[in-house]
Amino acid sequence: MTDAGPPAVRLDGITKRFGDVVANDGVDFTLEGGSVHALLGENGSGKTTLMSVLYGLYDHDEGTIVVDGEERTFESPRGAMDAGVGMIHQHFQLVGPMTVLQNVILGHEPTENGLVDEAAAREDIEAICDRYGFDVDEHLDERVVDLDLGVRQRVEIVKSLYRGAEILVLDEPTAVLTPQEVESLVDVMTDLAADGRSLVFITHKLDEALSVADEVTVLRDGEAVGTVDAATTTEQELARMMVGREVLFDRRPRETAPGDPILRTEGLRVTGDRGLERVTDIDLTVREGEILGIAGVQGNGQTELVEAITGLRPVDSGTVSFDGEDVTGLSRRERIRAGIVYVPEDRQTEGLVQDYDLTRNALLGNQTVEPYVERGFIDWPAVREHASDIVDEYDVQPPTVESEGASLSGGNQQKFIVGREIEHDPDVIVASHPTRGVDIGSIEFIHDRLLDRREEGLAVLLVSSKLEEIRKLSDRIAVMYEGEFIDTVDPETVTEEELGLLMAGRRLDGADADADDGGGAVGDAGGPDAAAEAGESDDGDTTAPDSEVER
Amino acid sequence: MSDDDRSRARALLDDAAVRMLKASALQRLGIAIASTALALAIGLVVVAAAGYDPVTFLADVFEGAFGDENSIGRTLKFTTIFVLVGVAVAVAFRAGVFNIGVQGQFIVGGFATVVAILWLAPLFPAGTVGGLALLVLGTLAGVAAGGLYAAIPGALKAYGDANEIITTIMLNFIAVGVVGYLVEGPLRGEGNRAPNTARIPEYVSLPSVVFDSPDFSLVGLAVALVVVGIVSVVMIRTRIGYDMVTSGHQESAATFSGVDAGRTVVTTMAFSGMIAGVAGAVFAVMIQGYYSDPGGVATYGFDAIAVSLLAANNPLGVVPAALLFGGLDSAGTHIGINSDVPPQLIDGIVGLVVLFVAAPELFRMAARRTGLGGERR
Repeated sequence: MTDAGPPAVRLDGITKRFGDVVANDGVDFTLEGGSVHALLGENGSGKTTLMSVLYGLYDHDEGTIVVDGEERTFESPRGAMDAGVGMIHQHFQLVGPMTVLQNVILGHEPTENGLVDEAAAREDIEAICDRYGFDVDEHLDERVVDLDLGVRQRVEIVKSLYRGAEILVLDEPTAVLTPQEVESLVDVMTDLAADGRSLVFITHKLDEALSVADEVTVLRDGEAVGTVDAATTTEQELARMMVGREVLFDRRPRETAPGDPILRTEGLRVTGDRGLERVTDIDLTVREGEILGIAGVQGNGQTELVEAITGLRPVDSGTVSFDGEDVTGLSRRERIRAGIVYVPEDRQTEGLVQDYDLTRNALLGNQTVEPYVERGFIDWPAVREHASDIVDEYDVQPPTVESEGASLSGGNQQKFIVGREIEHDPDVIVASHPTRGVDIGSIEFIHDRLLDRREEGLAVLLVSSKLEEIRKLSDRIAVMYEGEFIDTVDPETVTEEELGLLMAGRRLDGADADADDGGGAVGDAGGPDAAAEAGESDDGDTTAPDSEVER
Repeated sequence: MSDDDRSRARALLDDAAVRMLKASALQRLGIAIASTALALAIGLVVVAAAGYDPVTFLADVFEGAFGDENSIGRTLKFTTIFVLVGVAVAVAFRAGVFNIGVQGQFIVGGFATVVAILWLAPLFPAGTVGGLALLVLGTLAGVAAGGLYAAIPGALKAYGDANEIITTIMLNFIAVGVVGYLVEGPLRGEGNRAPNTARIPEYVSLPSVVFDSPDFSLVGLAVALVVVGIVSVVMIRTRIGYDMVTSGHQESAATFSGVDAGRTVVTTMAFSGMIAGVAGAVFAVMIQGYYSDPGGVATYGFDAIAVSLLAANNPLGVVPAALLFGGLDSAGTHIGINSDVPPQLIDGIVGLVVLFVAAPELFRMAARRTGLGGERR
């Protein structure tokens, strides 16, 4: 890092709104010249939005952007590129059927007498590759579609460098890479910084942020929580900054004991959208009248796990069983009919049809439920009444079933969806972030409804990135890290620090997640709680006799 | 164009899109009437420029569409077919499936009806009862053929990821080619000099009831209206309809709710093709009485796209939209016979009307797809 000169980028009080949603709320961010700065946060915390503002993709509503000591506002990425800012998106912006050379020079073709001077371009690209040890020049005449993702990413980097980028933003660059490719990317980033370029590294992975970055800024719910020096911080501190603290809720004592196991997965393996395995050998059991919480930094396979259980995503191997029956081969609709409902992670695209009114939205997922549908015919008055009940009970604003899904604020959409799924009268509720974006009063109400349902004997699989929510509601907490359950702990006794460690992939006995794990790391509700004895617990000791979560 | 200009243009477009998206049924009617009037006005200028009398031309248009019993019968004849093919398109578009193959399904359905009636005729007594039985069986054959023919591109899309716009267009050509070959050779009626099938028996026909027209039957129109009613109920009141429409609105939400995307595409296409099959059956029985080389059959299935767009893909809205198109076609026929204005000019004017009438709807759909007007974030 060089101390001389103004910072490469300084963002002051950047606020960006999409309608009612505040994606960035007065964010300050400073990128020093010749350094790597990690931008860390969960999905939806506003990292990409912030960098898109810098890159000229979005207009910001408030705040100033200073690049190389000069206040700038870029109307388009073109302007940002001209000022030496390059961004490599999560989804590569390459033209598949065109060659690497054509992609790199696209829009910046060197010309001679009006013709593209390929020879000159080739020379320039080779010079860049030589300088940083890229292998891209070996693929110049191959089509992009024929290349591995890792190479495509290097093509993107070379493209930015070719266009003279001094400041590079990499948006979740490791998401598509194998571990070996991640290592070489880390080398590339280090080399680029050593050469005086400044890099922003967007990620939600703590270890990666720490291994490459000089500084780390954590974003949460669109706000900058703080900036720390990577050399002195710990993964645990970062995890806590990412997840945050909220008002401590009181746990409600249970009135009934959990019953028989009803939902079980065995050896579940699931592939994510990008073709990488996201769920690795997960065994879990949820009993009637029990809430199993899954904690973890988002993006560690929780989404794929719940989608496999609810029937929205095929499994590679392993089984999902419900009430003793293997349901792995059942369709989503058959699983709904069997009694597995789902509060989806994405309310905008999955949970609601945006241009349906609430009556029509109330039927979503209830198409097989009497009396709303009988013999294939819909009883709209009954559906309407149901919608109206949900609106009343869950305090959906505005309190009318006429409003279209899209016209509701995020929190009210969420309340409606949660209400619809809980009142479906299922046997198992799989709930992903059931209170995301919901006001505090309604959070309490949703929590109470879930706990009521638990007392009635329902099984709940709860995924949430809010630690307080998980700790308040869960009977057991399984911590998910890189597709595996790293441990299962008792919410009564586990501390936030311990959860933070586990979420960062560190086992409480000091071994990390990649170490071989022999026994079952299990804490059962009411069982011995060795997990709480941080640092001393040993896999063998924590195994309760009636262990419900095996590894 | 500077960035400033561009954002202003974008804002203008956005504003227009919002208004288009929010247009009510009444506004749509207004748009349709204004578009027709404007297209006719431009058409009249063209007619005048080509050296014909625009006033006479305009009078001919109205006379051809509603002038006398004969004209009204002809208008309703076209309307009947447009209602059916229009609903076939509307069903698919509602569900987000772009069935451009209604023409092919219409041809296959009509041909299957004629062939089934010809084959089965010897098995039934001649007369009203036999005629009725053959009508029902022939229509069922047409419905089945149209449905199956549409299910092919449905399955190709659902399980082979083949773009249905391309496959349905290709299947249109295949339908024309294969049916053309069959009426040319193997199934040509004995002694026919033209490439036609034999005539279906006289007693297999729809009674005209009114206007005493040889090729319009109130029964045919009634069938079309009943189909509209059934389709409306299916789309609004049944689970299958809800699943289809939801898939068309927001596929990810449909999947979340347990809709099998692939199966719904096949169902939608089959349903759409079955309605096109009814259209083919009515066309074959009511209008033709035999099947001819489909290369020469009117392109109802393509005009149906404009009909459906004008109706905002609403099955009920298809009825007035079909009436407009029926009237225009009828006027075109009349002018072709009764004036020396060249038929190409009339086709051009009808084309203008289609363009003017359908353009706002196309714009509306484009707005939905691109997110202009804030439908999508």
